[in-house]
Amino acid sequence: MFQKKLIYPNGIKVLLVTILILTVSGFSLKIKDAYLQGDNSVPNKTTPGRNYRILSPGNYSEIVKAAGEMPVYGHWKSFTEKDGLPAHKAYCVRIDGDRVLVGTSGGLGVYENGKWRTYTVKDGIAHNGILAIDVSKLTGDVWLGTLGGLTRWSAGKFDTFTQLNSGLANNVIYSVICDGKDVWAATGGGAGHYDTFTDQWEIYMERNAPMHEPWTYGVCAGDGKIWIAAWGGGVIEYNTKTKKFRDYVDPDEQMELDVFPDDGVVHDITTGVSYDDGILWVATYFGVNRYDGAHWNTYFDHDSGLLSNFNNFNRAVGSVVYFCTDKGLSTFNGKTWVSYQRSENNTGGKVLITNGPKLKNDVKTKTFSVPTSISHNFVIGVDANEDEIWVATSYGVSHGERIK
Amino acid sequence: MRSKRLIYLGVVIVVIGLLGIPAHKLARKHVNYMTAVEDHPLMCTSCHLHMPNSGLIYKAVNKTYLSPFNLAISPDGNKLYVVAQESSALLVVDNQTGEVTDRIAVGKQPHTVIVSRDGKVAFVSNQWADNVYKIDLTSAKVIDTLKTGNGPAGLVLSKDEKFLYVVDSYSNQVSVIDVKRKTEKKRLVAGNNPTGVALSPSGDLVYVTSRRVLPRPYRTPITTEMTVIDAVKQRVKERKMFRDAYVMENVAFTPTGDMAVATLIRPKNLIPSIQVEEGFMMTHGFGIIEPGENGKIIQLLTDEPNAYYSDPFDVVISPNGKRAYISSSGVDMIQVLDLDRVRKLIAESTPEELHNYSNNRGISSRYVLKRISTGANPKGLVLSPDGKYLYVAERLDDKIAVINTATLETEKQIDLGGPRKITVARKGRRLFNNSGRTFQNQYGCYTCHPDAGEDGLVYNMAGVGMGRNVTNTQTLRDIGDIPPYKWNGHNQSVYKQDGMRFSTFLTRTEPFNYDDLDALASYIMTRIKNPPNLMYNPTGELTATQKRGEKIFFRTHTNCGKEIPYKSRCYVCHPPPDFTDKLPENVGSLSETDDSIPFDTPQLNNLYNASPYLHDGRALSLEEIWTKYDPGDRHGITSDMTKDQLNDLVQFLKSLRDAQYYSKYYSDEYKPLLKELYKNHYFQDKNQHNHK
Repeated sequence: MFQKKLIYPNGIKVLLVTILILTVSGFSLKIKDAYLQGDNSVPNKTTPGRNYRILSPGNYSEIVKAAGEMPVYGHWKSFTEKDGLPAHKAYCVRIDGDRVLVGTSGGLGVYENGKWRTYTVKDGIAHNGILAIDVSKLTGDVWLGTLGGLTRWSAGKFDTFTQLNSGLANNVIYSVICDGKDVWAATGGGAGHYDTFTDQWEIYMERNAPMHEPWTYGVCAGDGKIWIAAWGGGVIEYNTKTKKFRDYVDPDEQMELDVFPDDGVVHDITTGVSYDDGILWVATYFGVNRYDGAHWNTYFDHDSGLLSNFNNFNRAVGSVVYFCTDKGLSTFNGKTWVSYQRSENNTGGKVLITNGPKLKNDVKTKTFSVPTSISHNFVIGVDANEDEIWVATSYGVSHGERIK
Repeated sequence: MRSKRLIYLGVVIVVIGLLGIPAHKLARKHVNYMTAVEDHPLMCTSCHLHMPNSGLIYKAVNKTYLSPFNLAISPDGNKLYVVAQESSALLVVDNQTGEVTDRIAVGKQPHTVIVSRDGKVAFVSNQWADNVYKIDLTSAKVIDTLKTGNGPAGLVLSKDEKFLYVVDSYSNQVSVIDVKRKTEKKRLVAGNNPTGVALSPSGDLVYVTSRRVLPRPYRTPITTEMTVIDAVKQRVKERKMFRDAYVMENVAFTPTGDMAVATLIRPKNLIPSIQVEEGFMMTHGFGIIEPGENGKIIQLLTDEPNAYYSDPFDVVISPNGKRAYISSSGVDMIQVLDLDRVRKLIAESTPEELHNYSNNRGISSRYVLKRISTGANPKGLVLSPDGKYLYVAERLDDKIAVINTATLETEKQIDLGGPRKITVARKGRRLFNNSGRTFQNQYGCYTCHPDAGEDGLVYNMAGVGMGRNVTNTQTLRDIGDIPPYKWNGHNQSVYKQDGMRFSTFLTRTEPFNYDDLDALASYIMTRIKNPPNLMYNPTGELTATQKRGEKIFFRTHTNCGKEIPYKSRCYVCHPPPDFTDKLPENVGSLSETDDSIPFDTPQLNNLYNASPYLHDGRALSLEEIWTKYDPGDRHGITSDMTKDQLNDLVQFLKSLRDAQYYSKYYSDEYKPLLKELYKNHYFQDKNQHNHK
């Protein structure tokens, strides 16, 4: 048998061996660092197409610099049942002055002065499964959207509105917002509003609004308009002055793909809407949208810094929108994406920054490992202000400080 | 010729006699039927002169009185400002001469007046106009109209007088008005039927009382809310709950703020009314609220073991904080409390003892200094700035009593100049508001029917069987044209309702004599007005939602196109203008503790403010009538309706106003339908059958 014998000059042999040794030892060191710091920067299937650049962990100044105008959050601290949260599964969170309200599967958790207090059906809440929270800026009353009705919590008293005792469309409430004197609720049986001045309800469903079916997931308000995220109906816009509806549906009518980019709502099944700073942000299970009143932009996980197309909820605060995905939290201001993920080995987190609305050859995602992270990557709710962020996940709620 | 004339005269006399005997018999029979007794004087005037509720006779017989309700005093103490509720006026009274120097027209049914610290401006809440008038007291002119929520009642200015807190008594809110901008900044949720309000001496808290109890499960103990507003943040800070109490009309702070005192009633509506004889149906007193979130709430009675002092209304506290004065409007008295003794009692008692005191009629002598008689139905109170005089609005006397607080004697009465003549209806109104005809003055008609409406409680009148046939109090407003009365419809007239059975089952003392009964019936029958339905139907023009509900109310076919049987159509049992056919019906609402009887179909006018609903108050909202308590579509066919249709129907029902706004045929659109109804055999047969 002929065997081809490779013969290399000695100098070349030495060089190859040296490169091999350095490569193997360097990779080993990287793995070790990643393990010690909780880094999850090793490319994997959940985050395809990213350009990973490993920097020294926990170097927030570099992260803040990379994020530009976008707020960066860190020093995460998480809370679960053992810390006093009513239940592991947190559906929603709302910052209310010096306290934080968390809706969980086991009731309402209120975090104040470093302590958790729990309120449940025994206290008068309609149902322990609390899916949505909003606080009236006018009155300070807290409105809780639950799996069993709408509850108003006002200075310690719980009043419940159900489909049996009031004009509420349906007891399963996915979203609630206060718009001046009106309280809007998106429910499993339509959306509607309660006028707290006149004690009157108006409800909207497929019978009297351009909805595909009455199941609604989200509602938001701004500039005299209400937007409703309707299952199968895209986004329904209601003008509070003219009391007229219009709808925004997926123009390409394709369920599985987006034929033309930036042509409208990415999908007719919408899961969240949020409006602030003149921009309407739409979340779906198939990507997200930005709408400035004239133009639509669509963002997917494969063409932008969005962590996942599967979005449970979104919330806009000022110019920044927070998308709650099944793979972590993505934040975006129309220019830069900053996302937060828990590492796979659950010992730390990652901050992913994309300095551009969409990925391009010259726009890549940079990944930074950080020592702390959100408690779980399946993010369901979020709220933020100038100084902090709270994230509700399927396993606990997390608090992050804004890094400046 | 002369003999012929005598014969003719004789014939005429005989004919008249022959006719007169049966006419007399017929009249006797009629009066016996209407009064349910056989010895009521045969006086046609009792009903036909004093009971019409409109027209020339009504105008000729009745008078418009002043009915002073609340009052305020100028900072220098020289002028009194008196709300003349019935005349919709603010009277300016010279305190020295006792003369009314100005009469300023204000809105409908004014409730409260307050005066700014500099004495230049007054604010008057117009409860039936949903606004507050700002009045320049120098020119005696209304200078601003401030829009409020529904039923503005109590008023208080913030310490800097930049904001006005208005208690919206019908919409259960507090409007925060920016006085300078003349705009309503926000509305805060208050208790049920809030009325009184007071600002703490520090200016950082606003207390708001409530009259009606909070919604609660059927036949469970009651709770009434005292709403505490943070006047700095202008948000509700706390809701203090008063267990087993209601009709908390007013509240006042001591000058140091160490306590607030609120008037209240403690009803015992969960037990049969036979307990009246045990002295245990209604008790009256006051609540003490200590400051702070953990401050105690103590309830004490002003009643005695064998005497009650019903319907406490207003409370004021002396400048030195040592005395409180309470107007007991049901017994025409002012009760003078020694607050130092109250403080001592609280300090010396354990929490358990204090809890027990809330039902103890044996300790009032420890803190009630004196009881001072007043004119009829004392309501609002105000102290002179130096605390030397107490002024009392004697509502049903049109006078202001002036009490010297040193001697605790009435020095004089200021006559406001109301009509001199006391009409029969006015006399009846005095009786209605007075507890003198009840066992030991325990309660008056007014107690369970505040403002002639209803108190929202259910009672067991114990006519037959203890604990059975529990019923929801019904309104007495605008009921002149809708007999029979009682839920079982057994009383064909107010005479029967308020006659012998009234004393047997309810007042447990001597029945009204016939003169008094005539007067009481006259007051009730002359159409006690409802507040205008400004919340749901301010103009008579229905909203789009209400129009859709109207169609459902008059519908004849289900959503599936199936014809609805006559007996199951809304308009058949509830035809306009009273929205009742005045006939008994069984709509499937009988409970296990009810006798098997049909119930009188209630009128639907103004039912928006009459919760809870159904004969026993089980339904806390109109929706619940059909979503919870209408098994088998017995209360109309509703099971085919979608949720939005039910909402539309409810909104239409809430839009219904007084009967006077509607005709028998309602509107051109539904006139054919109603004409057909009145001709229909079902309707006619039902009427004939039930009127037998």
